[in-house]
Amino acid sequence: MSAVPSALGGGGPRGASSFFTWRALTILTTAVAVLGPLSLIVYQSLLTAPFFDARKTAGFGAYAFVFADEDFWKALRNSVVIAGGMTLIAVPLGAILAFVMERTDLPFKRWFEPLILVPSFVSPMVLSFGFVVAAGPVGFYTVWSQDLFGVAPWGLYSILAMTVIAGLTHVPNVYVYASAALKSLGSDVEEAARSAGASPFRVAMSVSLPLILPSMLFAAVLVFFLGFELFGLPLVLGDPEGILVLSTYLYKLTNKLGTPSYHLMAAVAVCIVAITFPLVLLQRKLLQGARKYATIKGKAGRMRELPLGKWTGLALFIIVAYLFVTVIVPISGIALRAFVTNWGFGVNLSEAFTLDSFRYVFQETTHTRAIWNTILIGTVGGALTVACYTAIGFATHRRDDGWSRLVDYLVLVPRAIPGLLAGLAFLWIFLFVPFLAPIRATIFSMWIAYTVVWLAYGMRLISSSLMQVAPELEEAARSVGASRATVSRKITLPLIRPGLIASWLLVFMIFEREYSTGVYLLAPGNEVIGAQLVSLWQGGAIDIVAALSLINILLVGAGLAVALRLGVKLRD
Amino acid sequence: MRGFVTVAALAAASLGAFAQVPAGYPADYAKIVAGAKAEGKVVIYSALDTKAAAPLVKDFNAVYPDVKVEYNDMNSTELYNRFIAEVASGQGGADVMWSSAMDLQVKLVDDGQAMTYASPEVVKLPKWAVYKNQAYGTTYEPAVFIYNKRLVTGAEIPQDHASFAKVIESNTAKFKGKVTTYDIEKSGVGFMFVVQDTKYFPGMKDLERGFGATSYKVYSSTGNMLEKVSSGEHLLGYNVLGSYALVRAKKDPNLGVVLPKDFTLVLSRVMFIGKKAQHPNAAKLWTDYVLSQRGQKMIGGEVELFAVRDDVEAEYTASKLNKQLGGVVKPIPVGAEITEYLDSKKRLEFLGQWKATLAAGGGK
Repeated sequence: MSAVPSALGGGGPRGASSFFTWRALTILTTAVAVLGPLSLIVYQSLLTAPFFDARKTAGFGAYAFVFADEDFWKALRNSVVIAGGMTLIAVPLGAILAFVMERTDLPFKRWFEPLILVPSFVSPMVLSFGFVVAAGPVGFYTVWSQDLFGVAPWGLYSILAMTVIAGLTHVPNVYVYASAALKSLGSDVEEAARSAGASPFRVAMSVSLPLILPSMLFAAVLVFFLGFELFGLPLVLGDPEGILVLSTYLYKLTNKLGTPSYHLMAAVAVCIVAITFPLVLLQRKLLQGARKYATIKGKAGRMRELPLGKWTGLALFIIVAYLFVTVIVPISGIALRAFVTNWGFGVNLSEAFTLDSFRYVFQETTHTRAIWNTILIGTVGGALTVACYTAIGFATHRRDDGWSRLVDYLVLVPRAIPGLLAGLAFLWIFLFVPFLAPIRATIFSMWIAYTVVWLAYGMRLISSSLMQVAPELEEAARSVGASRATVSRKITLPLIRPGLIASWLLVFMIFEREYSTGVYLLAPGNEVIGAQLVSLWQGGAIDIVAALSLINILLVGAGLAVALRLGVKLRD
Repeated sequence: MRGFVTVAALAAASLGAFAQVPAGYPADYAKIVAGAKAEGKVVIYSALDTKAAAPLVKDFNAVYPDVKVEYNDMNSTELYNRFIAEVASGQGGADVMWSSAMDLQVKLVDDGQAMTYASPEVVKLPKWAVYKNQAYGTTYEPAVFIYNKRLVTGAEIPQDHASFAKVIESNTAKFKGKVTTYDIEKSGVGFMFVVQDTKYFPGMKDLERGFGATSYKVYSSTGNMLEKVSSGEHLLGYNVLGSYALVRAKKDPNLGVVLPKDFTLVLSRVMFIGKKAQHPNAAKLWTDYVLSQRGQKMIGGEVELFAVRDDVEAEYTASKLNKQLGGVVKPIPVGAEITEYLDSKKRLEFLGQWKATLAAGGGK
């Protein structure tokens, strides 16, 4: 990361050799930042006690314990069921929404698109908590429904409910890929079907969606994979019922033996990585396949919107119902809870109104610091992160050698490690690597962890910007004698500037939303809202959770507003 | 000449500080006060949240304005994990450890992580609250039942452990999914409470079966249970930390609290000074202050825990609780016996039996 300044200012007289030194340094830093935590986790999983404990011995005891624990198998089964179920919900719904938004003359489209993407920018911890206060057994909507209709025919605390909520909140992940693929599809084939008398639904099912199957397959694998990383949702909705998934099982091991069982947690983490890493590789393959497939798209002629006709009502209903359940219900729940002292049956909400939670949040230094840190890590931290990613991007840009391929795989690794565990590994590193120790209790430690954890996501943003720069421009500069560094600085960098600003905004929102990475790293001084919420939720300070959640939503909303204003495409 | 200056400076420093030596303390306590002043701060890791501890910190600073208190709250497991990791890495963290996970605190003492320091206040503490002159029980917090006042009334309010079991067993339809207690796999305090319960309550198995029959809900913290019983999502809470419950019940008209009549377990937050504390003198001042009559008065008053000392007048005190409940108060001793279940084999056996009994009751 120290290589960044030279990436931007170097080159010139020092010429090629300094470029290669810089490139080697960037690749080396990336490798250390990615492989350090992973190898620590693997090493820890092969010990019988915390690695810093003098009484540790090597062995496979941790794996033996985990594999003999029936809770592990239950958690694994639940993870598979939920991941599979949510894929079955998110993929069709995301594809239909994408079709309606991209290809039809649905009214108010401009307003719907940012709203559809909201669930992917709000912390799952916040959304789940919102569902509890809004639609839990005594949630606001439940109580209203009971009063109005005498029944509230839903329940939150079951595998089914978790699957449905997870499915609905992952619709945006499918939506972005499906709509990108639809965009690159000519509308002539659809028009042909339409003029032959097919309904819009029939067009979607028989023509458009089959054509974007590769993208949907990719999105399906992505959602399935994300299913194994769910943490906030099962923590809030599943834990009280004893419904475990892999990540909450891992979290539970923190205390199950009474004293820390890092070796067991590490063993579970290795098991999770053993499942997720192949999925990450599969995604990579599918993405390449999807791009290849996209080349046989129809002629990129003028797009014509399909008239929905009498189907308009149904399409509007689907979108509004989706937004109501996934966005409006949880967020209004949180907003309400933040302003009342107590809630439930027979509580008059206007009497329970209070601003105390906010007053308390703004009085308490740990909370104000969390708010500032969260803003800081998104803005300044986000910019630095984009700078780091750009440096890595340049180190591999237009170079098809072994090193570039190595980096390609390296950046995928953190994707497979659950944020919770990555955070724990970083805590160990900050504790036991002497020169890193001073930054442990500063926001810088969080920033490093975030930057590594989101490496794959960020690199996709950067490399898609870089790929848009036509090679001729760079080659022209090269041919008049500019060094690689000069080309990067004077040609490529200015050309991708809009892409970098867009990446910055997306990284801002992702960092505002992030919560699991900070859970173990959290220390006085480096508080961020996301991790603070997990800790406060565990501690039961619900008023404060609601207030901080609302503040978090406002921060994300601010980022979203700026992004929309600048016309940033809200997708990777 | 230089030597003289040093001596004079020391004398002046100790003279200035001498005024602060509390009454009844040995005269050489001035050295500790001066040392603490030179150290300038004390780092506390505590399971009691910052908001609750604020009056205590403020009052300590009224007595010792030169010692800055760096108060860090985290949950008791994190407290332990962080402490051992920091000690192992040689990065000094906590000077004072203050936690409700009594067993983990005692384990740290047994592992040689605590400093031996006979506080001048030791004589005023109950015998069970002093361990090896290293760890001290500082509070007297009962484990209570809670209930939703609007939805649970009359005979349904359990008054003792046996009636708790009976109430939920005789009306499983009403209480299905509405009974809550600690997740003993996640909460060390919750685990410790049920281990003690099995000692005093022969019908514990009936209760566990009742939990199973009503598919009870578990949480890792008191706050969640209070919230959910208050809102009516749950109706009854078992083994809730009374210090928190009583405070909330004062402000929350929905929440009722019962001190069990057959026996009431009492937890005492254990405090010790880290062996490698970087501010040892300041840590001693803090510990002595918390154990002193003044500190205990704060704990029984504004901090709203219960004072462990008998000679304190405050809203919440051990003596008041003892008077109210007669001889049925069972403080959990600060002693080696409470670490029995930190042996992972024994712990897993206990957890296994617990789950088996739940299942026998028809639960998960």
